[in-house]
Amino acid sequence: MNKIKRFFANAGKKIFKTPRAKIWWLIILILVVTVLAGFLDYPNYYDKGVNWLKKTTGIGLPEFYKLPFRLGLDLQGGTHLIYEADTSAIPAKDRDDALEGVRDVIERRVNAFGVAEPVVQTTKAGESWRVIVELAGVKDVSQAIKMIGETPLLEFKEQNPDTGTMQILTADQQKNLDDYNAAAKKTANEVLKKARAKGADFAALAKEYSTDEATKEVGGDLGFITKDGVYSDWYDDAAKLKVGGVSGLIETDENIGILKLTAVQDSKEVKANHLLICWSGAQSCTSNLSKEDARKKIDELKAQATKENFVDLVKANSSEPGASESGGDLGWFGKGMMVKPFEDATFAMKVGEISEVIETQFGYHLIYKTDERAVKEYRVSRILIDKKTSAEILPPAEEWIYTGLTGKQLTKAQVQFDPNTNEPQVGLEFNDEGKKLFGEITTRNVGKPVAIFLDGEAISIPRVNEPIKEGTAVISGNFTIPEAKLLAQRLNAGALPVPISLISQETIGAALGQESVAKSLMAGLIGFLAVVVFMILYYRLPGLLSALALAFYAVLVLALFKLIPVTLTLAGIAGFVLSVGMAVDANVLIFERLKEELRWGKPLGSATDEAFKRAWPSIRDGNLTTLISCLVLFWFSTSMIKGFALTLSVGVILSMFSALFITRSFLRLIAPWFQNKGTWLFGVRNKK
Amino acid sequence: MVNIIGHRKFWLIIAGSLVVMSIVAVSLWGLKFGIDFTGGSLLELTFTNRPTTADLASDLANFGAEEVSIQPVGETGMLLRFKTVDETKHQELLKHLAEKFGEVEEKRFESIGPTIGKELRTKAIYSVVIVLICIILYIAWAFRKVSKPVASWKYGMIAVLALLHDVGIPIGLFAVLGHFYGVEVNSAFVAAILTILGYSVNDTIVVFDRTRENLIHAGGDYENFDKIVNESVNQTFARSINTTLTTLLALVAVFFWGGESVKYFALALIVGIGLGAYSSIFIASPALVLWEELTVRKRRR
Repeated sequence: MNKIKRFFANAGKKIFKTPRAKIWWLIILILVVTVLAGFLDYPNYYDKGVNWLKKTTGIGLPEFYKLPFRLGLDLQGGTHLIYEADTSAIPAKDRDDALEGVRDVIERRVNAFGVAEPVVQTTKAGESWRVIVELAGVKDVSQAIKMIGETPLLEFKEQNPDTGTMQILTADQQKNLDDYNAAAKKTANEVLKKARAKGADFAALAKEYSTDEATKEVGGDLGFITKDGVYSDWYDDAAKLKVGGVSGLIETDENIGILKLTAVQDSKEVKANHLLICWSGAQSCTSNLSKEDARKKIDELKAQATKENFVDLVKANSSEPGASESGGDLGWFGKGMMVKPFEDATFAMKVGEISEVIETQFGYHLIYKTDERAVKEYRVSRILIDKKTSAEILPPAEEWIYTGLTGKQLTKAQVQFDPNTNEPQVGLEFNDEGKKLFGEITTRNVGKPVAIFLDGEAISIPRVNEPIKEGTAVISGNFTIPEAKLLAQRLNAGALPVPISLISQETIGAALGQESVAKSLMAGLIGFLAVVVFMILYYRLPGLLSALALAFYAVLVLALFKLIPVTLTLAGIAGFVLSVGMAVDANVLIFERLKEELRWGKPLGSATDEAFKRAWPSIRDGNLTTLISCLVLFWFSTSMIKGFALTLSVGVILSMFSALFITRSFLRLIAPWFQNKGTWLFGVRNKK
Repeated sequence: MVNIIGHRKFWLIIAGSLVVMSIVAVSLWGLKFGIDFTGGSLLELTFTNRPTTADLASDLANFGAEEVSIQPVGETGMLLRFKTVDETKHQELLKHLAEKFGEVEEKRFESIGPTIGKELRTKAIYSVVIVLICIILYIAWAFRKVSKPVASWKYGMIAVLALLHDVGIPIGLFAVLGHFYGVEVNSAFVAAILTILGYSVNDTIVVFDRTRENLIHAGGDYENFDKIVNESVNQTFARSINTTLTTLLALVAVFFWGGESVKYFALALIVGIGLGAYSSIFIASPALVLWEELTVRKRRR
């Protein structure tokens, strides 16, 4: 304290008397700024002084402004999470909004978790939308991740009017499709050539080339195919072949087929109407009739039935669904398509007859055979080559589409009970934006369903009876009371507008962070001392000044780190230590030049000024290139490297200031004191 | 005065062979990229009773972790690297290890998805390219004045060559370290390379500036070209060495006391910045003289 007082007294005397007032003022300014910065770095000493003052004199001064260092995750422990938001279901123009919604919701969640200064940011990398979450000092990271992950995804969707319309392929997709199909065609042509060659083994070719897994093992044999059976599409082509003949390429949108006819047989097809009376317990029966009553009823109907009234009887009585429309008409059918007792009866009857009562697993039938025709059945083998269709590439249009109304616009959720059924429900209340949106959605969907999706699943699809303008909605999804409570709680804590997934995490334990702080402080101190010792040994008096300037520099930089604030990471501290090493570079340049000037015999004062003037361009240029590198690093890199780039560039900029003002002022201040005391102190070897 | 130019071929051969060795090392072994470039998971653990690497490896294989590599850290620590896992699997693994090997503390966990890795790779390449372009533009600007007897662009070319030497050898060194000690090239290494580029270019420019200044003073006495260059190097010698030395002192402190995670970052900087001083003294000016000699000889023929 005394020293400082004397210093100020000395300064005061000279202030108005000497032309060096300007230098003094500068030094005083530097001292004041540095002392303030020092207090900001480490307020304890100031506070102790204030306490002491209070005790001894009773003068109460406020304690110094406390500003903590902002430590990065690697120094205090914590986690850095990157989530990717799936915005594919959302129109491009709404994506920014949706992502902001995600950010708000996660922020709310994270705040509830009690983390100090959580960082939640959104970024866009190429086509993907990201949310970055940084939780510093969080104890239980997995719990935090779970909480964010459990954030419900709530969406209101309306029906897609475009379902089923053709979607358009991109040029790339179309090219892939065309290429694939061209290759399929080429293969098909080769296979056809082989199949038509003399002595060709069609079955072996089918085994080798057919893409139909169901039939390739049996050599492509489809058995006898009929006009109405499973393979009816191939019937006409098969009919054109002679036995033993091979077809050409039969191409459709889905595939290319090659057929070989192996046998033909005559068969017949029948056409009939039927009447069904089923009993409770028969297959697919919804009737309450007992089997006995059913039998009684069908016997009565059999007694009434004639060719003329059969269809009307069916329409009035048949328990077959839709019979009142179809009149029980089964159309043409061949063998193997109906259950055995039914088929046997129908094929045995004559055209125009009504059968006896036939019992099947479906109930009692009466059959009226209306027609019969002779047909041929063809036994064919088939080689199938698969093609791609645009439908396979494009997913079918979504049934439900984005409306813009999501968990983002939710203000409140609470458990309610349905006034009619007393079932628990979750009542939702929207904010103004949500109210407006919900009004619009319900207005344009009157009479249509609107779906409420929770975590990607439709849990409630109410039909809109009238527009809802009050901004409230109800989710009713067969909840139990605890389920409804939990859902309401989760929704109240925030609901996401789009799904998110965790794609990157960096977690650092608090213990490792503390170790790192201790280590990097040690490294910083050792680095600083090493530089100081070197400078004093090599440059002597100016070296001592530069050591002092370096100490001032360190104090100022640390204060700046607090003020900006710069988030300190391990790499950041390495950057700071590096900047200490670089900061004296400017001094080295100046002192080397000073030595040269002194050697040329200039007096100390003008040599000092000249040295600064000459060294400045080098100092400026040297720092410029380092700054360029830092700038690029800052733009392009991860948060860890950003810390390094930021501390290094702050250091580099301040070191120029330090060289220009601090070291220079010191040198100018002391130069007159050593004017005639030789140049040894300035590191110049005396030549004689 | 130190006769540096006199032994120019010696200095250039040393630098040249180091560069060649680096190229061989990189092409032979390649670089071992860290998970921030490749995607993957990294888990640092401290055990109360540390299992052997082999035990841990076989256990992890049983657990279903893929592409596992294990590295002991200190007395009780283990650093595990494996393919990206999600959070559920990560928690399962921790539980599993605690059941199997007793108390275990998680110090650090990173899991980087392949997309992020790919992005960082692209970013790293972009940033190196951008810095290189900026530095080359800067060199072009620094040597914009026409000078005699050596054309400005020759100074520029040599400065760029010196830079390639400064970053080429650290890359080679990391190929060697990666092959023998599993040291990884990560985004911190890229940051180190960029910093070296920004820092080292200046020494070379200062030496050349001094050379041009002295050539102008000498006023057409180009017969003693090599002497003038040697004098210039000597005049800037102390400056180059001392600026580098102070920076290296700080970096060495970080290397030894700054902790494991910035150790190799500091090493890359130490090597690169040290080489930056070497190249500005022992490569740039000797190369300038050599080039000049060759052109003069050609002209005379």
